[in-house]
Amino acid sequence: MSPDAYLSLASILFAIGAAGVLLRRNAIIAFMSIELMLNAANLAFVTAARAWGNLDGQVVAFFVMVVAAAEVVVGLAIIMTIFRSRQSTSVDETSLLRW
Amino acid sequence: MAASLPTAIPWTVLIVLVPLIGAVAVTFLRAPAQQRAARWTAFGASLLALLLAVILAIGFTPAGPGVQYLVSSPWLPALGVSLSFGVTGISLVMVLLTTVLAATVIAAEWRMPVPRGTTQGYLALLLSLEALVLGVFLARDLFVFYVLFEAMLLPVYFLIGRFGGSRRGFAAVKFLVYSLVGGLAMLAALIGLFVESKAAFGRPTFDMTALADMTMSTPTERLIWWGFFLAFAIKAPLVPLHTWLPDAAAESTPGTATMLIGVLDKVGVFGMLVILLPLLPNASVFYAPMVVVLALIGILYGAVLAIGQGDMKRLFAYTSVSHFGFIVLGVFVFTGIAMNGAIFYMVAHGLSTAGLFLVAGYLMSQRGSASISAYGGVSQRAPLLAGLFLVMALSTLALPGLAGFIGEFLVLLGAFQRSVVVGVIATTGIVLAAIYMLWLVQRVMVGPLQPGVDRVREVTVWQAAAVGPLVALLLLLGFFPQTVLSLVEPAAQTTLAGVPAGTAATPSLFGLTGGEQP
Amino acid sequence: MTPISVVDIDYVALAPVIIVLVAAVIGVLLEAFLPEAARRSGQLLLTGSAVALAFLTVLIVAASRPFGPIAGGSLMLDGPGLFLQGLILLTSGTAILIMADRRVDPGGDAFAGRVSTLPGGEEEREVSRRGLMQTEVWPLMLFCIGGLLLFVTSNDLLTLFIALEILSLPLYLLVGMARRRRLLSQEAALKYFLMGALASAILLFGSALAYAYAGTIEFAGIAERISERTTANTLVIAAVALILVGLLFKIGAVPFGQWVPDVYQGAPTPVTGFMAAAVKVAAVGALLRVLYVPFGGMRWEWEPVLWIVASLTMLIGSLVALAQSDIKRMLAYSSIANAGFILIGVAAADQVGLSSVLFYLLAYSVATLAAFGIVTMVRVPTGEATSLEQWAGIGRRSPLLATAFSLILLSFAGIPLTAGFIAKFGVFTAAITAGALPLVIVGIVASAIAAALYVRIIVRMYFTDPVSASAGVASPSPLTVAGVGLGVALTVILGVFPQPVLNLVEQTSIFVR
Repeated sequence: MSPDAYLSLASILFAIGAAGVLLRRNAIIAFMSIELMLNAANLAFVTAARAWGNLDGQVVAFFVMVVAAAEVVVGLAIIMTIFRSRQSTSVDETSLLRW
Repeated sequence: MAASLPTAIPWTVLIVLVPLIGAVAVTFLRAPAQQRAARWTAFGASLLALLLAVILAIGFTPAGPGVQYLVSSPWLPALGVSLSFGVTGISLVMVLLTTVLAATVIAAEWRMPVPRGTTQGYLALLLSLEALVLGVFLARDLFVFYVLFEAMLLPVYFLIGRFGGSRRGFAAVKFLVYSLVGGLAMLAALIGLFVESKAAFGRPTFDMTALADMTMSTPTERLIWWGFFLAFAIKAPLVPLHTWLPDAAAESTPGTATMLIGVLDKVGVFGMLVILLPLLPNASVFYAPMVVVLALIGILYGAVLAIGQGDMKRLFAYTSVSHFGFIVLGVFVFTGIAMNGAIFYMVAHGLSTAGLFLVAGYLMSQRGSASISAYGGVSQRAPLLAGLFLVMALSTLALPGLAGFIGEFLVLLGAFQRSVVVGVIATTGIVLAAIYMLWLVQRVMVGPLQPGVDRVREVTVWQAAAVGPLVALLLLLGFFPQTVLSLVEPAAQTTLAGVPAGTAATPSLFGLTGGEQP
Repeated sequence: MTPISVVDIDYVALAPVIIVLVAAVIGVLLEAFLPEAARRSGQLLLTGSAVALAFLTVLIVAASRPFGPIAGGSLMLDGPGLFLQGLILLTSGTAILIMADRRVDPGGDAFAGRVSTLPGGEEEREVSRRGLMQTEVWPLMLFCIGGLLLFVTSNDLLTLFIALEILSLPLYLLVGMARRRRLLSQEAALKYFLMGALASAILLFGSALAYAYAGTIEFAGIAERISERTTANTLVIAAVALILVGLLFKIGAVPFGQWVPDVYQGAPTPVTGFMAAAVKVAAVGALLRVLYVPFGGMRWEWEPVLWIVASLTMLIGSLVALAQSDIKRMLAYSSIANAGFILIGVAAADQVGLSSVLFYLLAYSVATLAAFGIVTMVRVPTGEATSLEQWAGIGRRSPLLATAFSLILLSFAGIPLTAGFIAKFGVFTAAITAGALPLVIVGIVASAIAAALYVRIIVRMYFTDPVSASAGVASPSPLTVAGVGLGVALTVILGVFPQPVLNLVEQTSIFVR
């Protein structure tokens, strides 16, 4: 089977994730979307590893999982702090900074 | 003249360092009680610089090689930059003018109260400006020229912005923005030359003498020409890039205005003489008609606007726009006579404008106004002051016997050699000059005594002694122009020899050579 | 069983990274075991000595080790990498000096006493009454520096990504820790986190595509695959595009740098300085390596993109900076504009371009650190005086500080006799030589705009009369003075005697492939 289908699926997941980060206003959802993007990359890595017959891609996928976990720790900590200060996780309400 | 100096002493560097050291020394005399000491230090430094300039003039051989007393040491080998300073006939004249004016300004403003900041700060800025301008005139490395050209802005900016009149901030920023834009254009041209010289010689160089031998493709040369021309046209000020000058002059102290118009603006023309013509001769010839037209517009426009001014300092600024039109015309008609005239004119204009600003400065500091309508009948109260003013004004309108006449006459003669039409148009500038100057003298000096003018006192002996040398020089140069012309002539000849159109000057009606050369 | 082959690791060449990361781990242990009273001095000592030692080690490595891949090919020891490592450690050390200052703010250093307390709450008042200072920032800094050191030497896509995360995660936290204006700081942290994580994810997906195309994550292997290609391939172009976007995010280039002003404004000012200097150096370093080494064969594809991005970045950065009324936002936009000038040199894509970028990074990073260091000193009772109006008349009350700041602004503006001039001259020359004349013209126009901006600030400091709400200048501790002084001194020295450093960047500017 051609790896193209898997790569396409990964790209679609990645695009959904990117759209989620840019469009959703809730920090938690935006954050989940980023996780989706990372996992899309994982899928692409694993697919490519299978297609090329080497293990590099699978190793990368493990690293990405660990990094994602670390990111969750940091990200949730930041979101928690903001939530405690403002009782909200909406990105829109955080408006002291202007574009 | 022409006794050669010991070459072990780096004269050209020394002459730049003396005012600079003076400036540093003055900043150390900070306490209010040391004000007197600071003044004497500053005056001493400027006199010493003048003395060195005179020594240099004595040691200069007009008929000798183009660049003399060259001192050079590598600075940025990777960029091909070296700190080299040397003197040519043209730069020697400018150095003499600069040192004379700097010493005069410091002497003439001996008792001028400094409204904001300290006298020491003012003097230090004046001296550092003198040093930087001298450096620009003596630099033989284009990169060093550029660096000093840019650095020059800072003292002027602070001189206007801190010690100027009520709209000083605006004037200072306007000056700076114009100059920075010009500087950036020049930077672009400089980078272009860098790349070209790297391609031509295998290694980059900024040595002006070496660059003069470099040939470039026509489009490149023209692009580079524009970069330098913009910078110099803003500085010189050439219409339509002159609008910063009236504001800057009106908001400056008389001393700053003197340095600004008498010396700093000359850097623009100097740049045209030593960079545009020798380094980019073909482009200079190509664009000469445009420059000549701009210069003619400047002559008339400046004069007409000068007639309409109600503020003395603005009036002087506009007369200078007109005079710079003459000077640039003299450079770009490419005849030997006109070029000599242009250089001579720079000296004459520097001396007379300095006198006008300084004498008018005495008047304004007593009356507290620069408006012409506030004056009238000054000569009844202060005949000597009025007399000094009249001499300066007469030189400005080119009365024979004074220096201004020689410069204007030579430029016009050269212009007529090239083109009758250009000559005729330029000549109308003289008529207009007579109108604005004599009318000014009439309104300010004679006529019924205006209220407030009765408080005006005569110039003190010190003040008269400070401005007196300017009168003496104007007369001297008016009767013996050869003193300056002999220094300038060989250099002007060399400059013209490199310009394709400069060799044969046959009079014709529109005879502006330009455009594509065969 | 068959014997396993052991990866040959050159521990000496790796020493700078190891020193910093081990110190970071020790720092975490110190947090747990040192008594509260001794923690600050202990952490400072550890952090300072680790960075200094790492810097010395970089010098030793540069002098003694042969260039080539180290750590099994994951990292590359070469001239640009070592230069950038040295520069990162230099700027980090300076940033640490400024961060350690606790004299300019009467409440302590620039960080919240306890980040977990609610802004404006009872606990927070209790913390500030007891004068507590938190010390977790120092291990976080060390982790971040370790990531930066890895980032500029990484030689495969995985190491690149991991290094990016090691440097980013601590930074997200550091941004949110300001002592004053805490809500602003927390929002900045959230924004930086979301944008940064997005950039990482984009970079990662780009890496995945590059791996799918080349079958290897090593830079040399990818370069080889690309040099063999005969036709355009969507996969590899998408890969380059995504990786480029991810890195340009970090550099803060338009249109990917909208987060920069907000984050720079909200973060504690010393951290802002660190981000603007060290992090930008590392990001540009990584961009250079990625573009020149694995994707050097695709120069014709990415060069036009860089042209456009560089032009936009310079122009928009300079123009928007003109409209700012907050000094930190102004400096943020100015750093965006500077990123554009750096990209001119990157786009030149040859050795001259590379060396000009290295010099620019040095000139820019030391000046920018000093600028933010000065911002920490100009204060009103409630914190830093970031509104530009409050800077009126500073020149009269504190001539030394105003002179220093003016020098730095003049360097940003590229006025001769400052480092900024030599730097701009370098990138412009490189670009013209590489045939990018339009880019240089845009650069000169942007310089003119930027010059007007900097002049405006100098005018405000010197010529505007102070208003009633004008700021005072806090007397800083020797640490800040040393940090700012170093930046200003280097700005002037590099402007007047740049030759030794020019020689150095010329010698170091070859990537080992």
